[in-house]
Amino acid sequence: MTVQFRRHFLATFAVGFAGLYAAGAQAAVSPLELVGPISDYKIYVAENVRKLATDTRAFTAAVKAGDVEKAKQLYAPTRTSYERIEPVAELFNDLDKAIDSRADDHEQAEKDPAFGGFHRIEYGLWVQKSTRELDPVADKLLVDVLELQKRLGALTFPPEKVVGGAAVLMEEVAATKISGEENRYSHTDLWDFQSNFEGAFKIVELLRPLVVKENKAFSDKTDANFKVVFDTLAKYRTADGGFETYAKLSERDRKLLAGRVNTLAEDLSKLRGMLGLN
Amino acid sequence: MRPCEKACEEAHPMNETKNDIAPDAGQPASPHRRRMLGAAGVAFAGLAASARASAAPAASPDAQVTDAPQSTHTQDRVPFHGRHQAGIVTPRPAAGMVASFYVLAENRADLERLFRTLTERIAFLTQGGLQADPDPKLPPAGSGILGPVVQPDGLTVTVSVGASLFDERFGLAAKKPKRLSPMQSHPNDALDAALCHGDLSIQFCANTPDTNIHALRDIIKNTPDLLVLHWKQEGSVPPIPAVPGQPAESARNFLGFRDGSANPDSADGRLMDRIVWVQPGGDQPDWAVGGSYQAVRIIRNFVERWDRTPLQEQEAIMGRRKATGAPLDGGRTEHDVPDYAKDAEGKATPMDAHIRLANPRTRASDANLILRRPFNYSNGVTKSGQLEMGLLFICYQADLEKGFVAVQRRLDGEPLEEYIKPIGGGFFFTLPGVRDERDWLGRTLMAA
Repeated sequence: MTVQFRRHFLATFAVGFAGLYAAGAQAAVSPLELVGPISDYKIYVAENVRKLATDTRAFTAAVKAGDVEKAKQLYAPTRTSYERIEPVAELFNDLDKAIDSRADDHEQAEKDPAFGGFHRIEYGLWVQKSTRELDPVADKLLVDVLELQKRLGALTFPPEKVVGGAAVLMEEVAATKISGEENRYSHTDLWDFQSNFEGAFKIVELLRPLVVKENKAFSDKTDANFKVVFDTLAKYRTADGGFETYAKLSERDRKLLAGRVNTLAEDLSKLRGMLGLN
Repeated sequence: MRPCEKACEEAHPMNETKNDIAPDAGQPASPHRRRMLGAAGVAFAGLAASARASAAPAASPDAQVTDAPQSTHTQDRVPFHGRHQAGIVTPRPAAGMVASFYVLAENRADLERLFRTLTERIAFLTQGGLQADPDPKLPPAGSGILGPVVQPDGLTVTVSVGASLFDERFGLAAKKPKRLSPMQSHPNDALDAALCHGDLSIQFCANTPDTNIHALRDIIKNTPDLLVLHWKQEGSVPPIPAVPGQPAESARNFLGFRDGSANPDSADGRLMDRIVWVQPGGDQPDWAVGGSYQAVRIIRNFVERWDRTPLQEQEAIMGRRKATGAPLDGGRTEHDVPDYAKDAEGKATPMDAHIRLANPRTRASDANLILRRPFNYSNGVTKSGQLEMGLLFICYQADLEKGFVAVQRRLDGEPLEEYIKPIGGGFFFTLPGVRDERDWLGRTLMAA
């Protein structure tokens, strides 16, 4: 999602719900039918951001206590709630950059003073093997997460962003995650994949009754692709409920995931139009 | 009216009727085009040559910065159906690309769906037509970079399969073409795994790079669950002025030398049957008849160093005059044939000159002839601040061992190696052609 696009949205979401509709060529779905799924999604986001706040508090506390091992253990699980709701979380460009930007989003990479958030802490824990320098980063991360919670609470969820969010998650995995570049120091990428897929699948689940009415074959194909993705990731579950490191992901499974993600991205890109949304 | 519009209108009827380029070995394509250009007269020929490179002719005073470059060749149409795939003996246009893919199909039914989808897309892309978007709420059917009506622009799309497609996945192991193996490393190679091999290669050739990119994006969009891109390399060849009545010249590579001078005559069908196309009756599987072996090599050229090398040394390394392409033992043009029998000690053409090693022109080396179809590539800057450019080498042959592999073995250790470094590529088998509307790429393989 581009910055411009986001700004545009932020300026207009207050316009409200019905105004975002246009009479779609094939829209058999009435705007009112979306109210239920969108409300349910808002609850899902609220639950996740609440958990994100709780987990981030514990994570940053461990960082500030200088407990590298504990902070490393909490890093990946803490991120899961953020990764599930990424399509709406990143509507706030300033917060997304502060919370989840990577070193290469910054001109001077790891040395860049603007590099903060989860990945700066990840860099400290896994590469620098120290929490020195991380106190202010941890403080800022918690502040930003609480701010995100506040803003999401006040947000009127635009249906086209929610429906489009499923595709957005797949586009992000396809473009900048499948290679393992997101968690390049900790290699906990499979945690993020799982959460991104869960977040996208949640949207698909909520919309399923409407989608089935429009195109059952589409719905079945999408469900089948999600199943392959979840089954593939399940092979890498560890006994404690976590995931193996990205390095354990076989070349064949990486390609398989890439293909399914591309297919989901291609198919889910039609979801908005199918439901008559702009 | 701009000067070009006039010319284009005059040329238009010819575009409709005569710009078709025959892909089959039996129908000589380049002489056909030359005849056409000759008949059209000097002005048109010159225009056509520049338009091929999509360079705008001299602009009128009211021409605008962002006016699209104009071409009289957007309607060039290479027939899709034939005994052989197009894009092998088809005269090479200005822009080329090779893309290598992993095949994600998990069973034979999916593999067949892949081949059928490729067939359907390539038939459309190479012949052109309207790509309609009836519902603006849905993503458009294609990228739209060529506009709503897809112009064929001389596009050929050539599909080949790698040795890895014949592993356990599809039960095709026994069907593998006899000479197909993963590309092996030669002593001067520094192969990058990210640029090597693949289950399937697609070669795109067209008058402009945009047409190739359009076709690649179309295929990716239509096969998300069947293909994942592994690597790709684009290239181009510099056009030269058309001079009616004179034989065409070979394009120059990034070392400044003509590349392709001694290529076998691709318009000679019988010669192509011998050198390029797998024939019935040999030890190749029946399904492979009409196909060909494709060797792709991404060969970096150290151009800064080359440009600092004395001219006579460059010429001794290559075995040709740089300006004319003439062999070193005499002659005026690249078409003159060196007589190595009279130069057994290498006094005129050094024994280790590139062209002499590549083709010693002996009776025995006649079995090693290959059909080259290279493009120049330019990729940016290395970490050392040097240009990352070189040759996207592509060649076709009926026998990979006797062809590319034998030639490259002779070249191993050549003085040119100081200036070149192969970094990627792969060996593939180009599927036989799609004969008609009911046929599809890979049908003979899947039925075998």
